[in-house]
Amino acid sequence: MSFALLRRGGVYVFLSIATFLSVFPFYWMAVGATNQSPDIVRGKLGFGGNLLVNFQHLMTQVDLPRVFGNSFFIAVVSTLLTLIVSSLAGYGFEMFRSRIRERIFQLLLLLLSIPFAALMVPLFVMISRAQLNNTFTAVILPGIASIFIVFYFRQATKAFPRELRDAARVDGLKEWQIFLFVYMPTMRSTYAAATIIVFMNAWNNYLWPLIVLQTPDNKTITLVISTLTAAYTPDYGVILLATVLATAPTLVIFFVLQRQFVQGMLGAVK
Amino acid sequence: MTSLSLKGIRKSYGSLPVIKGVDLSVDSREFVVFVGPSGCGKSTLLRMIAGLESITAGELEIGGKRMNDVDPSKRGIAMVFQSYALYPHMSVRDNMGFALRFAGKPKDEIARQVNEAARILELGPLLDRLPAQLSGGQRQRVAIGRAIVRHPDVFLFDEPLSNLDAELRVHMRIELARLHRELQATIIYVTHDQVEAMTLADKIVVLREGEVSQVGTPLQLYDDPNNLFVAGFIGSPKMNFLSGEVVDAGAGTASIALVNHGGVRLTKPIGGPLPRKGEMVTLGIRPEHFGVAGAGTDLTLAVDVAEHLGSTTYVYANGGGERLIIQREERHMGDSDTIAVSIPSEAALLFDSAGKRLR
Repeated sequence: MSFALLRRGGVYVFLSIATFLSVFPFYWMAVGATNQSPDIVRGKLGFGGNLLVNFQHLMTQVDLPRVFGNSFFIAVVSTLLTLIVSSLAGYGFEMFRSRIRERIFQLLLLLLSIPFAALMVPLFVMISRAQLNNTFTAVILPGIASIFIVFYFRQATKAFPRELRDAARVDGLKEWQIFLFVYMPTMRSTYAAATIIVFMNAWNNYLWPLIVLQTPDNKTITLVISTLTAAYTPDYGVILLATVLATAPTLVIFFVLQRQFVQGMLGAVK
Repeated sequence: MTSLSLKGIRKSYGSLPVIKGVDLSVDSREFVVFVGPSGCGKSTLLRMIAGLESITAGELEIGGKRMNDVDPSKRGIAMVFQSYALYPHMSVRDNMGFALRFAGKPKDEIARQVNEAARILELGPLLDRLPAQLSGGQRQRVAIGRAIVRHPDVFLFDEPLSNLDAELRVHMRIELARLHRELQATIIYVTHDQVEAMTLADKIVVLREGEVSQVGTPLQLYDDPNNLFVAGFIGSPKMNFLSGEVVDAGAGTASIALVNHGGVRLTKPIGGPLPRKGEMVTLGIRPEHFGVAGAGTDLTLAVDVAEHLGSTTYVYANGGGERLIIQREERHMGDSDTIAVSIPSEAALLFDSAGKRLR
């Protein structure tokens, strides 16, 4: 038995453990959604026949279409606005020369290190003063100028050929037309990757919606799942079913844009 | 087609001047090539004509109209870029029609123009392909097609062949010459390849460090360079340079001693001001102008390498620390370690210590 073979075996064992750790929670979640709460607590690992009952219980406790609608609205609008604002900023930072450009950008990167918890209270005060409390606008607005996504687009824009912009200028396009008709289609893999990141963030967002959304009508899926766990005897079957349903859209988005996502990630570091 | 003129054109980035006052006129239908080493400002000058770089000082006129502050799309120019700059998400057809679409031309007019350009460039079967599905040469033709459909007054080419392999470059060079004849277009073409410049140009502008070193037809520059830089830059293989010292000057002639070749003398008639006795000069001679020994000032050189190209042979030889290239028509040079050549006085060019030609 050679060293190389041993090493290869070791790599396979490591990867198997990593795969198990990654996949098992999803499996357990899916299994749990089909079982009764006591079975789940006992650690049953096989699929059960309680899916429809769990679904009925979930529907009686939660206005599912409304909650999903809220989450979708917030995630989709957040994603669209974040992509527009942040990609414009990233394009601008990379394309336009200015003496203070790098200073401003460094300042932005510095701001990235401030944790959200430190910004939460002042942000809430601002939102309240603007009388946006308990509105979707309050959830969406603070996130649309995402420094991370601006940084991501700026890095990706470094790979955007300058001569394309020059060619478009000679062809008679204004700067906004270059952005819309040349830059955006050329950078679609970057947009795809950013879509996944932003959509997932917006969909999974918990803390900020918890603070600014008060009435049940406005609750998102993450807030609702947390209320399900708050019961005296939580029904884990119902909770896990809700979790499966909440995970589905992000998985769909990921698998639809997966190829573009990988290309976009590669492009960003090239 | 339209003429173009540059008067005292300057460009600075902050306090750094990159174009230091260029005066030039380009006649209608002329093929003008900007040539020079990397960093000499030739691409910057082209981009200033295109409107992609601002003009710090001076006047740019195209067709008699001042164009300094006019939008690139309204200057009547079309540009072909080194990297082709094709829009990757658009088909060849859409790439070629893109400018016309933004100019508000009707669809049937765009289709007609695109088809006409495709016919000229033999791009018909490729019209529905994406740039990624084309070879380098095909992409280059699409880039040229995109320029043609706009019917510009002036075509601007920025090193358009430098990304192609050697064989394709020769082919595209011939295509460009044909296109120029067919379109009767005014063309300004940037290259660092002096073979391209020599073969394509009606007029060559040699640039050096942001200034025009010399303007002339290819053969004028080859036969009659104004300075050492142009003499060395134009011609392949390069002109040979030998160090000399003026040992006598008077009565319209200067006698030069070749200091690295045992002080052998060459007497050169000079029409203009004569150099001073004792002044160091440079003597230039093209590889094909060396004569057989005994016909002028003779040199005996040690042969380093002989390159047999079939119709001609280049002998790389050393003498007194100077490496010289000699062109010979004989196919068999023998295995001799030395070669004896002569420098005919009428073929030798003389440059003063500042590199300026002494005529």
